Amino acid sequence: MAAAGPSVFLLMVNGQVESAQGLEEGISQITSKSQDVRRALVWNFPIDVTFKSTNPYGWPQIVLSVYGPDVFGNDVVRGYGAVHVPFSPGRHKRTIPMFVPESTSKLQKFTSWFMGRRPEYTDPKVVAQGEGREVTRVRSQGFVTLLFNVVTKDMRKLGYDTGPPDTQRASGPSPPQGLPQ
Amino acid sequence: MAEVHVIGQIMGATGFSESSLFCKWGIHTGAAWKLLSGVREGQTQVDTPQVGDMAYWSHPIDLHFATKGLQGWPRLHLQVWSQDSFGRCQLAGYGFCHVPSSPGTHQLDCPTWRPLGSWREQLARAFVGGGPQLLHGDAVYSGADRYRLHTAAGGTVHLELGLLLRHFDRYGVEC
Repeated sequence: MAAAGPSVFLLMVNGQVESAQGLEEGISQITSKSQDVRRALVWNFPIDVTFKSTNPYGWPQIVLSVYGPDVFGNDVVRGYGAVHVPFSPGRHKRTIPMFVPESTSKLQKFTSWFMGRRPEYTDPKVVAQGEGREVTRVRSQGFVTLLFNVVTKDMRKLGYDTGPPDTQRASGPSPPQGLPQ
Repeated sequence: MAEVHVIGQIMGATGFSESSLFCKWGIHTGAAWKLLSGVREGQTQVDTPQVGDMAYWSHPIDLHFATKGLQGWPRLHLQVWSQDSFGRCQLAGYGFCHVPSSPGTHQLDCPTWRPLGSWREQLARAFVGGGPQLLHGDAVYSGADRYRLHTAAGGTVHLELGLLLRHFDRYGVEC
């Protein structure tokens, strides 16, 4: 009697948040811009997570929220961003843009700047979904670079074809020259 | 039945003269295709870029199709609109691109166009805003009746789409 085929595939991701701001949840250290000409922000935060599923629908996304102090010392949100974990095995580098919700009126913008309570999402997972975003206005500023090493198990046995492994390919928009990453 | 997963993002848009942009997108497939999970259409947030001229949406797309045939391979159609500070929306461009047919991650650049009207309408668009729009959105992704249109180029929409195919080799399809 033939052995039953696998019904579940595994996805193991490890890597690091190289610069910028993303267990299933984690908080990084606080970093300041470097003094040299690059003015880079480096977190070097490790990610090591394994997922198991029967269906690629709902493929994991990593959602990042970056916070920083404003001029009064309050922690305000500096950007949200999300990207799907790559599904082909190998090493991948992704640079993702970050955006922050905008105030609706100029008065609200001044009040929130003054009080230190900027508009932010109550649940950052909204960034990973498509629904309900059509009513939001955002400002995009800044980029975060992530590095992924992806290993999958039994996807081919279940019939999935993930395409050629595109290793060491830097993808996504490159930030404009002269800006911190 | 063969299955196709489209997992990716509408990254953003460049090359438009207006700066606060959003995109309405939809996927059109043939009769042999059935959407098993995911939303077939949506609308991104409105983004105003602070640095550079690329408006970033990072809008996730996650779709699961089952198909019995290759006809009607999914087509992604887009409408880019701009919103001004008063909340009025103006069409910036229509565009479409086929979802790639080979598995893996693809960077797509979708050029857009917008209908030009008569010289009166163009003048009105420059001063007051508004402008002609298509009555039936399917002219964007179908070739029929295009000869009546006179259009001008808009900017480019950038997408990153990943394709995961299942059981295509069982049916002898090479991609």
